[in-house]
Amino acid sequence: MLVGVSFFNDDKITQPGFGQWAKFLGDPFSYKVIVDTMMLGVKTVCATVLIGYPLALVYLDASPRLQKVLIFIIVMPLLLSVVVRTFAWIVVLGREGVVNTLLMQLGIISEPLRLLQTELGLVISLTQIEMPLLLLPLISVMSRLDGNLRDASAALGASRWRTLFKVTVPLSMPGLVAGCLLVFASSTTAFISQTVIGGVRLIYLPLLIWQQSLVVFNWPFAAVVSLTLLVSVLTVVSALSYLGRRSGGYVHG
Amino acid sequence: MFSRRHLLAGATALGGASFLPSIAHAKGSVAAAIYPGTWEEAFRAIVAPALKKKYSVDLELQPLFAVDQVAKAKAARGAPPFDAFVLDPGPRITAIQDGLFDRIDLKKITNASKLPAGLVDEWGVGVNAQVVGIAYNPKKVPAPKGWKDLFTDPWVSRLGLTGFQTTFGTVSLIEIAKVFGGSETNIEPALVELKKVLPKIAAVGQPAAMPSLFQQGQCDVMYTNTQTVATLKGRGVDIEFVKPETGAITFLTTLHIAKGATDVENAYKYIDIVAGKEVQEALTKPPYNFIPVNKDVPLPDYLPMKSLDEMSSFVRHDWAKINPLRAGWIEKFNKEMAK
Repeated sequence: MLVGVSFFNDDKITQPGFGQWAKFLGDPFSYKVIVDTMMLGVKTVCATVLIGYPLALVYLDASPRLQKVLIFIIVMPLLLSVVVRTFAWIVVLGREGVVNTLLMQLGIISEPLRLLQTELGLVISLTQIEMPLLLLPLISVMSRLDGNLRDASAALGASRWRTLFKVTVPLSMPGLVAGCLLVFASSTTAFISQTVIGGVRLIYLPLLIWQQSLVVFNWPFAAVVSLTLLVSVLTVVSALSYLGRRSGGYVHG
Repeated sequence: MFSRRHLLAGATALGGASFLPSIAHAKGSVAAAIYPGTWEEAFRAIVAPALKKKYSVDLELQPLFAVDQVAKAKAARGAPPFDAFVLDPGPRITAIQDGLFDRIDLKKITNASKLPAGLVDEWGVGVNAQVVGIAYNPKKVPAPKGWKDLFTDPWVSRLGLTGFQTTFGTVSLIEIAKVFGGSETNIEPALVELKKVLPKIAAVGQPAAMPSLFQQGQCDVMYTNTQTVATLKGRGVDIEFVKPETGAITFLTTLHIAKGATDVENAYKYIDIVAGKEVQEALTKPPYNFIPVNKDVPLPDYLPMKSLDEMSSFVRHDWAKINPLRAGWIEKFNKEMAK
């Protein structure tokens, strides 16, 4: 359907043709939007991994009781509607929000920082919103790792860091890659968070799709943009999973 | 064990059961599309009981934005999923052009005579007016006089903007363009001026997010309608409405009967009751804060006019001219505003 609709020139879907594709691909603005969207995904993935991975390590070493508390905290964002989470971030990041008030009262800044409607603010909030998607697969893979391997590594004289990078990280790769894929796919398509926190000056593909399909009713163009989003997300996702497979092979081979 | 025959009989019964609601539907109900949020709450709380009481007709509300209603009715090709539309001027014109409405027989709307001239036409009945102007936070900034002020300090650095996605956003940007030498069909000057002050502007947001951004102090000036101002005020937000010196903008929200509607008679009753004095008066009260259109209903005092007739002096726009240009404007706004 989507592919079919994209090959019509006019918004009444009567003249077949490549007009919409030409319009989209001939416009440098489109490429900027595609790159921005993908970069948003990459940044979010990096941020979630940087925070999520140590968190997963802490989880593994924690006592069973603490583990229960941690897993509750990790899953909690999933129990709230994305709209609620997103609007909560407005309260946190706003000009008179929690972060700015705190920093101003501590005297670190004199003018409120601009966090809402910036890519930084968006990445911060997406990191929290998408965190469970990374942590759940990661923890399930890591908790199945044999603790003896780490002890063996230590017994053979490896430092803790060396053990982490030579043993734990490679073995947890399947979970990490699965988590990254989920976070990437979900953050690049997170229309609500992107528009509410990022504002409409940060333009990503989902916003274009929404505008074209529901505001101006140019369904063929919306189909073109949707397919572009689908293809670009799939490309990155398959590249990531290829990397994941390769590193898996590296460990076993 | 179930035989195949039993299974089939069961499946048929189940399938048959799914038709039951539609039989009930045919007896005494009307399916009306309604905007999600305040409109849905208000219609559920006020219109549905009134309709039930007077005509014993059940009101089935389907929460859909104007553009979604048009999209659904278009996709349904002659068998609309609801009997009545509620639309703003832009989508209304689209729907007329696509032939989605039945013509209205005014004899069946007894309250039509209570509505000011210009609210009723062959396609629908205006049941609510929106008045758009500038809202500001009186504790943070002085009152702006008009659209031009929004582009100068102290207002510009506290300004919250939305684009052409909504009716109120579009008409406000048109008025801004007019102040800088543009017109209803030429919004270029507004974009040029916006571009100049863009780094200073506090927020460029999604229309639905604007009230929260204002409430959170992210912006202290924005263009919006009186209903939003009254609602925010009701929640204790410091907000005041200003009628710009070039005039407040007004547009109507209209009810329409869908072509191919299943319950046309009930749809008339529904429209009639919404236009009636009781419902209009109840809708005017907080927390709904609608602007009434029935002449018998007194106007709330926060409105920038004393009578409905005064609204004929407010700025109106020709959506037949705007609609074809809007797609281009949205695209342009994206590009000019993008970081």
